[in-house]
Amino acid sequence: MSMLQKLRENRSSQGTLLALPTTFWMVALLVLPLLLTTVISFGKRSPDGEVIYTFTLNNYIRLAGFDPNCPPADGTCFNPLYLQILGRSLSLAFNTTVLVILMAYPLAYFIARSHPRKRNTYLFLVLIPLWTNFVIRVYAWMMLLRKEGVINNLLGLLAGWIGYDFKPLEMLYTQGAVLVGMVYEFLPFMILPIFTSLEKIDNSLYEAAADLGANPIRTFRRVTLPLSLPGVVAGTILVFIPVMGTFIVSDILGGRQVILVGNLIQRQFLDARDPTFGSAASLILMIMTLVVTYFYTRKFGFGEEIVAA
Amino acid sequence: MFSGFRSTLIFILLAFSLLLGACAGGTATPEAVVPPGTEPQVSDEAIVTSSGFECPKAEFPMEVTSTELNLFVWTEYIPPDTLECFELVTGIKVNRDEYSSNEEMYAKVSAGGTAYDLVLPTDYIISLMIRQGMLAELDHSKLPVMKNFDPNYLDFEFDPGNKYTIPYQAGMDSIVVNTDAVENVPDAWEDLWSPEYAGRMIFLDDSRAVIGLTLLTLGYDVNTTDPAQLEEAKNKLAELVPNITVFDSDSPKTALIAGDVDLGMTWTAEALLAQQENPAIEFIYPSEGAILWMDNWAMLKDAPHPDAAYAWMNYSMQADIFWLMLKDFPYINPNQAALDFAKDNQTDLYDAYMGSTITNVPVEAVENGHRIQDVGDTTPLYDQIWLEVKGG
Repeated sequence: MSMLQKLRENRSSQGTLLALPTTFWMVALLVLPLLLTTVISFGKRSPDGEVIYTFTLNNYIRLAGFDPNCPPADGTCFNPLYLQILGRSLSLAFNTTVLVILMAYPLAYFIARSHPRKRNTYLFLVLIPLWTNFVIRVYAWMMLLRKEGVINNLLGLLAGWIGYDFKPLEMLYTQGAVLVGMVYEFLPFMILPIFTSLEKIDNSLYEAAADLGANPIRTFRRVTLPLSLPGVVAGTILVFIPVMGTFIVSDILGGRQVILVGNLIQRQFLDARDPTFGSAASLILMIMTLVVTYFYTRKFGFGEEIVAA
Repeated sequence: MFSGFRSTLIFILLAFSLLLGACAGGTATPEAVVPPGTEPQVSDEAIVTSSGFECPKAEFPMEVTSTELNLFVWTEYIPPDTLECFELVTGIKVNRDEYSSNEEMYAKVSAGGTAYDLVLPTDYIISLMIRQGMLAELDHSKLPVMKNFDPNYLDFEFDPGNKYTIPYQAGMDSIVVNTDAVENVPDAWEDLWSPEYAGRMIFLDDSRAVIGLTLLTLGYDVNTTDPAQLEEAKNKLAELVPNITVFDSDSPKTALIAGDVDLGMTWTAEALLAQQENPAIEFIYPSEGAILWMDNWAMLKDAPHPDAAYAWMNYSMQADIFWLMLKDFPYINPNQAALDFAKDNQTDLYDAYMGSTITNVPVEAVENGHRIQDVGDTTPLYDQIWLEVKGG
């Protein structure tokens, strides 16, 4: 019996074979680097910034805000710097996600309810910005937000017409600028999954709701919203996780004053030349993201319906 | 069916966009400056670049068998005519990768697997690279161009006797001021703490330089490893940071010229280029002393084309080529022969160079200057302080 015949008869080995390329890819590019990062995070930094492989929890103790060289009872050594950075990243990711949902939902609804022939055009418009490089789009916001930028100049012009004394707004290099940049960057990743789930809702469900006497608000609450929730969940995962780790947006729009955990990690591998601490911070970031995603998906599911569509 | 197809399409596009985003921070692969296959020219006919610059002959001709040279250099730091002439005159194809910080270069080179011949490290990272055995010792008999340099720029602490490096250009981190916008012009680092400047300042995103200047205002050494002194500097710097609008080490002149900020700290060439846009912008050497630095060519230990590397250093820094730096990248030029050449042949450039205190730095300012050195085990502490004052 030839190999091929054997394979044709054995369904389970078919599956194994089909999964082989992806498995190899995941092991080589995800599992192994992750293991290496874990090992390095328990290491020590040499004076020249190399990794000394050993087992110490010092990097994690430092992340938690304690100085490993300080007697543990002495409270003065506590420094919540890194916890604050983690907290700031978490709250920024949360705020971004909420804002993105609030902005993406109505638009996705509009597209889903528009004439099928126009839908493709609208979707196309949503995707167009993604054809430009991420960094360039962030730089474009600099032009808009700066003191003598487009927005301030327009406002100044308007103020001039109504005779109001206008002082340019300080928008660039603030936390607000970082939030705006993040919302802008990740908006399409929320619009598309929500659209997909809204589009699949059968029109007869709306008719049925109307027949049973539901007003539009009730229809939305009882029919549209629950059925589109998988899209919101899928979008949230697509937005929340990358925002947690991004450092380019805060670098450019925050004037390097808004330090997020992504910036912290990047600095460890470059300026501080401390890969061990950087690895520990990476792992903590990953664990934090996993924990948040775990509780979120346990409540709302993974949005599987969307991914499977 | 149709909707299923569209969702699939959307997800493919999404995945693609994510990938694009992920690549955003990466560096490009080496790219050829001129198409390969350019043969060395032997005739007496003048060799002219695409911009019309007539390439001088090699002053120090070298025997070279390599056909390629891989440079890993700071962004925007080699005149295009220099590159083109080198390729035309020697027939060696130059591949160039660029970096925007010493740390970035170090991280990439120390990870191994690169095929670079020459890098352009600055002061403190050189001692580290030498200790790590990353650099090849230079054969001075193959570097006749060495005679071009002002001895004041040779034999520094980071490489005594220039065993591993040869100078390229020097510069300073100092105070930059738009004198039209600022009433009281500062003349010391200490002055920058004045509330008058709050919300109007730009600083380099350089932990060592900024913590270093704070140490100077306290009367300490820029390279201190004493945690108590650093703690004091941290507290003082924490008072300054809220007054700083932006940290930028990529293009600080932009914010100055755009009027986003009125003063701060920057480095030599950025100040000069800003001054060319706005003559009111001045570079001031603070009484505590500015921060001095120098970029140097260094050959990597595993350089695949050492002969081409020597040819590059000799040709690109011979007098009748290196004066191009005065035009394209006006830093402090340690190449005395190139300055002498410019004096006789490029009078306007030479006068501009000598006439500006940004490039022709007063001797006191140099003597008063400080150099950043590697601080070994204290490096993470500097970084922690930096994060703390900025993000705490």
